[in-house]
Amino acid sequence: MTQSIFKKLTVLVVDDSAYMRHLLMTLLKALGVANVHVAAEGAEAWELFRRHEPDIVITDAAMLPVDGFVFAERLRNITGGALGMVPIIMISGHTDLASIERARDIGITEFLSKPISARSLYQRLIQVIDRPRQFVETPTYRGPDRRRRNQPFDGIDRRGVVALL
Amino acid sequence: MTDRSKKSHTGSKNETPPEVRFVRVPSIAERKLGTDYVAPMRLDPRVLDQMQTTIKGLEARYGDALREQLGTLLTLVEPACGGDTEARGRLYAIVHDMRGLAGTFGHPMVGRFANSLCGYIENAGARAWQDDTVFHFHLDAIREALESPGADPAITLETLNALQKLIAASTSARRHQG
Repeated sequence: MTQSIFKKLTVLVVDDSAYMRHLLMTLLKALGVANVHVAAEGAEAWELFRRHEPDIVITDAAMLPVDGFVFAERLRNITGGALGMVPIIMISGHTDLASIERARDIGITEFLSKPISARSLYQRLIQVIDRPRQFVETPTYRGPDRRRRNQPFDGIDRRGVVALL
Repeated sequence: MTDRSKKSHTGSKNETPPEVRFVRVPSIAERKLGTDYVAPMRLDPRVLDQMQTTIKGLEARYGDALREQLGTLLTLVEPACGGDTEARGRLYAIVHDMRGLAGTFGHPMVGRFANSLCGYIENAGARAWQDDTVFHFHLDAIREALESPGADPAITLETLNALQKLIAASTSARRHQG
């Protein structure tokens, strides 16, 4: 089952390291992903995104001239359809709290810290393919629901009213 | 960062403020496979094995690339610490690359030493380049880890601690210098 879904995917990989691009592309091919497009930074990635409309985006954070945060923000600003809700997996060597919170607050779907392993990448892919989080749209945030745990809280529960895409 | 605290207590209990919208996104699996889709998707051990074999296959080539990168780093320290901003950029880019990749390709200690040096450059900023000692000691540790990948982990961890102490001493010395 897992093989057949991967065969139907188009994935965009964005990383300024040629080795990392090669590694990710090879791992995705090993999974059976049919279409993998690669870019070295955010501006090039934007062009490829518009041309190929991938199902999943895997992006590095620190790149020049356009980094992964700016690229992701641009994706989340696409309105009127499913394209702006594309799952974004950010892979980064910057694992400090500020970077992780920044990624979360611009709507990154999953964060993966370097060095990556085959298992961690595979698990994140399954997560975004099979168990998507509902999307939240507010004037200041557009991205997957940042609340992952169902814990009691003070205030109104606005999650009861959900629109269907 | 978004300030969420200001938005969570508005409106009555059952009212959804109009500016907030929740959307259920169909899973990619559901969308692509239609009726063939059987939830939940699980990690397939055979596929995982295949991915790990792929990484193993790339390891040897990456080891060669690492040695080449180390050689380049050794030539960059002097100009970088002498004020060459392009050399600084290149040096940081290579070390950052090592931090992200070495661990994946079976050189975890190289990755940790590179991470330590990256942290030093990121935290000290321009002042990091005033003294080449921290750079040379890190590059020596990386070379050692590359030449003896099977070294006792306790010794390599001890080296990492020593590098952290060196960074702390260097930072403190700069602080005293003003």
